[in-house]
Amino acid sequence: MNKKNQGISVWMRLLAQEIGVEFKASIYFLCVLAFYAIYRLLCGSLEASILHMVEMVCMTYVMGYVQLYLFDNFDEGEQLRGKEICYLLLCASIYALVSYWGRWFEGDIMVSVVFELYMIFAYFCAFLIYKIKRSVDEKLLNADLRAFQERRLEDGGV
Amino acid sequence: MKFTIKKINTGENEVILQYESMTPEVERVIRFINGEQGKLTGWKDKTLTVLEYQSILYIESVDGKTFAYTKEDVLKLDYGLSQLEKLLSDINFFRCSKSMIINIDKVKHLRSLPSNRIDATMCNGEHIMISRTYASDFRRRLKGGTRDE
Repeated sequence: MNKKNQGISVWMRLLAQEIGVEFKASIYFLCVLAFYAIYRLLCGSLEASILHMVEMVCMTYVMGYVQLYLFDNFDEGEQLRGKEICYLLLCASIYALVSYWGRWFEGDIMVSVVFELYMIFAYFCAFLIYKIKRSVDEKLLNADLRAFQERRLEDGGV
Repeated sequence: MKFTIKKINTGENEVILQYESMTPEVERVIRFINGEQGKLTGWKDKTLTVLEYQSILYIESVDGKTFAYTKEDVLKLDYGLSQLEKLLSDINFFRCSKSMIINIDKVKHLRSLPSNRIDATMCNGEHIMISRTYASDFRRRLKGGTRDE
């Protein structure tokens, strides 16, 4: 591979990585925002802090890179096993800590604990969604395989 | 490949093939002359053996050597993986990783794995990994497309 192609390959890899992180950030931001909105409504307020929302966006984006570089490329698309469960709990704890320090829930420690449980559930759902996606994909793949093999038989093989 | 056709008035029909090295193209001509299309030659215990494409489960390159695996045997082939890919890609074979070509007809089951990889269970129970780089082409191939599409 020449230098130009290597450069393109590195650039493509970085771009794919960035898109992946931003995709995750948008999903988790939506989850965090939903919790925050429900909390605000339960407090009897129809207002939300822009500063808190900016913190949430930054937090979810940074967490994408934390997962990638500090947590051994912890990805919800993988199978949920021992290592993934540990990282899942760690990520949810970090979210809870930041929510407490950032006073997203007015410094109420109990709400931050509930928020941590909610984030564990959100991560678990992400794993579940990927698992269902793989299961559907597997059925389609095998249907395509059978169709391919039948087509070959009809064509008389080699 | 250069070729000469000469009409003779007497004597038996004869084909003379001159080649510098055995290439897939030369082998294809030989197989055509012998009426052995759909077959490949490989070495088994220092004996040159003819094997049908359909008996091959997969072809693997190990330390620069190429081997064809059937249900019962392993044969050493004289070609590189890229040459075999060209020779076999228009039928039911597919390059599934840097070092392997599989016979799609011999795949029993496919499993979708994380990171867009595919685990192929062959009819002898062996598992072969279709890497992320090749998985998209494999899916396209199953749907009836070709690699170049």
